[in-house]
Amino acid sequence: MSARPRARTVLIPALALLAVAAGCGSDDGGGSTGEGDQIELTYWTHTHPPMTELNEQLIAEYEEANPNVKITYETIPNNDFGTKMLTSLSNGSGPDIINMDDSALRGEYIPKDLLAPIDPAAFGAGSVEELEGRYVDGTLDGAKGDDSTLYGVPSEFNATAFAINTQHFADAGLDPASPPATWDDVAEYGQQLVAAGHEGFNFVYLHSGWYTQQLQTLLNETGGSILTEDGTGSALTEPESVEALQIWYDLIREDQVGDADTASREATSPFEDFASGRRSMTMIYPWAVEQIAIDNPETFENLAVVPLPQVDPANPSGRWYGYYFAVNKASEQQEEAWKFIEYMTSQHERWLSDVSFVQPLKDWEQSPAAADIPFIDVWSQAYQQGKFDEVGPHWSEVQDAIKAAVERSIFDGQPPAESLEEASESVEQSVTS
Amino acid sequence: MALTRTAPGRARTARARPPAPAASGWRRRRDAVGLLFALPALVLFAAFAIYPMLRVFQLSLYDYNLTSPPVWVGLDNFTFLFGDDRFLASLGASLFYVVVTYGPAVLLALVLALGLNTRMRGSAFVRLMYFAPVATSWVAVSVIWRLVLQPEGLLNQTLNTDIPWLTSSTWAKWAIAIAAIWKEVGFFLIIFLAGLQNIPKDLQEAAALDGAGSLRRLRYVTLPLLKPISVVVLVMAVIRGFQSFSPQVVLTGGSFGTEVINLFVYKTAFASARMGRASAVAVLMFVLLLMVTFVQLRALRRSA
Repeated sequence: MSARPRARTVLIPALALLAVAAGCGSDDGGGSTGEGDQIELTYWTHTHPPMTELNEQLIAEYEEANPNVKITYETIPNNDFGTKMLTSLSNGSGPDIINMDDSALRGEYIPKDLLAPIDPAAFGAGSVEELEGRYVDGTLDGAKGDDSTLYGVPSEFNATAFAINTQHFADAGLDPASPPATWDDVAEYGQQLVAAGHEGFNFVYLHSGWYTQQLQTLLNETGGSILTEDGTGSALTEPESVEALQIWYDLIREDQVGDADTASREATSPFEDFASGRRSMTMIYPWAVEQIAIDNPETFENLAVVPLPQVDPANPSGRWYGYYFAVNKASEQQEEAWKFIEYMTSQHERWLSDVSFVQPLKDWEQSPAAADIPFIDVWSQAYQQGKFDEVGPHWSEVQDAIKAAVERSIFDGQPPAESLEEASESVEQSVTS
Repeated sequence: MALTRTAPGRARTARARPPAPAASGWRRRRDAVGLLFALPALVLFAAFAIYPMLRVFQLSLYDYNLTSPPVWVGLDNFTFLFGDDRFLASLGASLFYVVVTYGPAVLLALVLALGLNTRMRGSAFVRLMYFAPVATSWVAVSVIWRLVLQPEGLLNQTLNTDIPWLTSSTWAKWAIAIAAIWKEVGFFLIIFLAGLQNIPKDLQEAAALDGAGSLRRLRYVTLPLLKPISVVVLVMAVIRGFQSFSPQVVLTGGSFGTEVINLFVYKTAFASARMGRASAVAVLMFVLLLMVTFVQLRALRRSA
C-alpha cells in the first residue's frame, strides 16, 4: 500500500468523525437557541421503593404539564446517601433539588451554607411567615438555621410509635388490646412472645444514623442527652443517658427478647424482620406501614400501631424527624427548582394515601386521605409529643461513636456505663476539634 | 528490521551510514516522536496520579472542610493523629489484617504452588480454580462471604458452631481474614508458580543425582532461587493488606474493630469533611509503607 492511500484510510474516517462531532455541536447550539427556555433539573433522594415510585409518577406528571422541564431523578443507596450528597454539594456538583433528613440539614448543610433560602413566592405565599403559617407549629424547625432562616419544606414528617403483630400476641396468650405501655412491659411481653416461638422485640441495626436515632428516642424518655446544653461537651455519662442504653441492654442481653446477631441489616428494608413475621414488636414510623403492606400483606393484616412504650407513661415523650425538600445554593435553576417542590408538596394527599408520608400542614389529620390511614389516632397523638434530634459539630463522628458504644454493649456485652464512658471521650474530641 | 540483519548487511549499512550529525538528528526526531506518543499517557499520569498525590501532601498541612477556604495549620493534623484513639485503633486493625491475612495466604500460596508445579492432568484447571476468586471483585466476594458467615450460614453449619462471625469484636476481624485468605491465595499462587517455572530443571536433577531428597532440594535449591519472587510477593502482600477497604465496608461496615486505615481515611474525608486530617493519614501511611518496604528489601537482601 502506498503512503497516500494509507493516509487516506486514516484521514477520511477521522475527518468524517470530526464532521459528525462538529455536526453534533451545531445541533446542540441550534437546539438551545431555538428552545431557550428548556430547563433541566436534577433531583436526588435516598432509597425507599414506595417513595421512589411516587416520585417517578409525580415527575412524569410535572414534565407533562411543563414540557420545557426535564427532571433527572436519582436514588442513592441509603448507606452512601449522606456522604455522597455532602461531598457533591460541597464541591458544587450536587443536584438542584435534594430531599434530606433534618439532622443532616441542621448539622451540616445549613451551617456550611450549602442551601438556598426558601422562595415563598414559588408557593404563592407573600412571605416566609405566611408559608410557615400553613404548617403545624414547630414542624419546619428541622430545616431552619440558627438565625431562623428557612431552607426547606417537609416531604415527610415522622413521629415514633410502636407496632405489634396481633397474631403473635394471640399465639403467646397476650391481649393485643392491652399493648405494652412501658419498657418493662416490653420485656415481660417479649419473653412470652419468645416462648411462643417468635422474636419478641428488637431494635434496628443499620448505619450509625439508625443507632443514634433509636438511642435518642430512649434519651428523650429518660431525660438524657448526647451533648451538654451548650453543645460543647458530651453528656453521655450522665445517669439519665446511661439509663437509656441500659434499657436497650436489658431488653436484649438480660431479658433476651431479641437476638441482635441475627437481626436483618438490609438498609432498604429496615423493618424486614417485622414484615417477614419473625419479630413481634418494633418501634415504627408512618412511612414503614406502607412498606410492610407491600412486603408482606399477611403481616400487614395483623399489624396494630400503638403508642410508643414509655419510661414514665404519665409524662410521655417522643421523637420527631423529617425529610425536607431543599434547593442547592449552587443551582442555577433555583426558581424552577422551588416551583417543582411546590408541585411536590401540593400533592400532600397522595403522599399520605400512597406512601403514608405525612406532610404536616395544619389539620392534616382531618384530610380525606388521613381518614383512610390506619391507626390515625395513634399517629396523631404521637405528633403531639415529639422533639427533633440533637445535632452538633462533626455529627457523623458523634454518630459513629454512639454506634460503637451500642455495639460494644449489645453485641459484646460491655456494661452501658463503660461503653458510654469510651464514647464520651470520642464525642468530646469530635465536637471540640 | 535493522537488528536482524546479517554481518555483511551490517557492513553494507556501516558503509552506507550517513554522516554522524545527520544520524543524531534522526535519533532526536525518533525520540521526539516517541515522546509525542507517550505524552498523552504522561499527561494523564501527571494529572490523575502525581498531582493528586502532591495535593494530598499539601492538604495535610491545612484544615479544610470542602466548603471554606483551607486554613494553614502546619503539623497540627499529624500531632492530633498521634493522640487519636480512633486512628491508632484503625492502624492496629490494618496491622492485624495484614499479618493474619497475608502471612497465611502467602505460605498457603507457596505450598500450593509447589504442589501444582507438576505436569499432571487437570493441573491447569486447578490453577484456574484458585485464580477465580482473584478475578472476582472484592464486593462480590464479600457479599458471598456475608452469606457464608451469617449465624446460620455455611461456616457455622459446617463447623457445627454458633459463632457470631460478623457481629462480635472477638470474631469479626478473624472472619474478614478468612474471607481475604480465600480471595488472595490465588494471586500469590500464580506469582510463585511463575517463579518456580523459571528455576532450571537441571539444577533439581543435579541435586537429585547428588542424593538430595525432595525436602533438601526444596530447602537448598528451590527456596533460595525463589527468593527474588518472594521479595516481590512480601512487598505486594503488605501493600495490598494496607490498601484493604471493600471487605470491611461490605462485611461489617468497619464495626467491631474492623475499621481499617483506608476506611478511616474515607470516613474522615467524606463523612466528616476533614480533608486535611484525612490527607495527613494518607501521608503517614505513605511514609509507613515506604519504610516497611525498605526494611523488607534490606532484610531479604541481607539474608540472600
